Amino acid sequence: MTKETFLHDKHIALGAKMVDFAGWEMPVQYTSIIEEHKTVRENVGLFDVSHMGEVFVSGKESVEFLNKIVPQDISKLNYEKAVYCQLTNKNGGLIDDLIIYKLGILEYLVICNASRIDEDLNWMVRNSKGFDVKIDNQSHNYSLLAVQGPKADELMRELGLSTHQESFTIKPDKIAGIRVLVSRTGYTGEDGYEILVENNYSEYLWDKILEEGQSFGIKPIGLGARDTLRLEAALHLYGNDLDENTTPVEAGLSWSIPKDKKEYYNGKEVIEEQLKNGGEKKLVGLKMLDKSIARHEYEVYYKGEKAGVVTSGAPSPILGANIALAYVKNNKEICTGTIVQVMIREKLHDAEVVKKPFIQKRNKVKL
Amino acid sequence: MPENLLCSKSHEYLSDNGDNTFTIGLTDYAVEQLGDIVFLELPEAGAEFKKGETFATVESVKAASEIYMPISGKIIEVNNTAVETPEILNEDSFEKGWLVKIDPTGDIEAEQADLLEYEDYKEELE
Repeated sequence: MTKETFLHDKHIALGAKMVDFAGWEMPVQYTSIIEEHKTVRENVGLFDVSHMGEVFVSGKESVEFLNKIVPQDISKLNYEKAVYCQLTNKNGGLIDDLIIYKLGILEYLVICNASRIDEDLNWMVRNSKGFDVKIDNQSHNYSLLAVQGPKADELMRELGLSTHQESFTIKPDKIAGIRVLVSRTGYTGEDGYEILVENNYSEYLWDKILEEGQSFGIKPIGLGARDTLRLEAALHLYGNDLDENTTPVEAGLSWSIPKDKKEYYNGKEVIEEQLKNGGEKKLVGLKMLDKSIARHEYEVYYKGEKAGVVTSGAPSPILGANIALAYVKNNKEICTGTIVQVMIREKLHDAEVVKKPFIQKRNKVKL
Repeated sequence: MPENLLCSKSHEYLSDNGDNTFTIGLTDYAVEQLGDIVFLELPEAGAEFKKGETFATVESVKAASEIYMPISGKIIEVNNTAVETPEILNEDSFEKGWLVKIDPTGDIEAEQADLLEYEDYKEELE
């Protein structure tokens, strides 16, 4: 049985093409992936991401507990701030990637991937033994809407956003008269907001945002464009670019890991060793040098030998080139500017290793 | 839409040109399901394929899909305009966005037995 978000009927009414994603029937596109993609880069788009998981963590030892399950230092996370984290196993492998928000004193919100919610909960409960902590999965009670694009802030003000927020902050507010939690985060590389709303108000809020957004050129955006947008911004997709056999260091996430965290966390020995010496593989950006498109699981070759595998690949509507993320051997020779080959339908096609992200991100807003 | 059109269950159409040659392309349904078409790989003229063999690849933003021969044949002409501007398939996959023309090399009647008239094909999709 596939699950439906509370906005399912809205998607159907808007003519969306629906697909199964992690057990959810979700809109993949409403009109055209390319058109929806450009709408988010140029104006503003509205996404239903209610399939994502919301887990509330509270209790006297919530900081100690969270510090055990992620490499980041949760004791340094301030009130109403958010931090990008990873849930690591004992070998440093990635169980999921998350955003953790501090909602109050000893009260945290963990937003996780729809495809990993069961594994995450299982792991969190197992690791909570001995900690005075409450783990409360509220995924079924909340809808999550994302408003993303250069005009997102202006639109949110029209809708009643009352405070000015930096990137990676979360605040309670009223949008279109509805009490919600608003965070300045997203998965597109653009400025924007994510709105956590009780299910019963999600349809009303969806309609209000689309209505008020008309004058900003808003469009509803499906998962197809969500994928190409995040790829241009070189943001990872769990299941494609991240898995339990990959560490945060190998995934290029070392920037998110503090070097001076004293507390033990799952996989710390492996991750600290890799922070010094690197992992077995590294994630690189590729730009195809012909019209071919590298896709998930296509093999990468260097000097005639297999050197890695593509994890995500698609056309970039903004660059007009075909781009990909790939894991290659942690070999110094393979760096920005190196030409490698991707095996596509039994033929080798040249690709250049390029800097990530593929586009200039515009999502860092400071006050 | 051309006359004398037959469709396969894998969404290719076969159109009889009336001069012992046939045109092959993707149905309007296939193109709509694929979404934005961004890449097309077609064989060279002269190549021969059996019914059911992969002869071409089409890619949308999301994924690559193989295209199969509805009947056996030798490629006699390739639509290079479609290769250079694959997005024309989204506009019209029959007149402008056809893929290849072939000389049939098998038993045409027997090989067409599992192909459907366009109306029946449409009905089957519902």
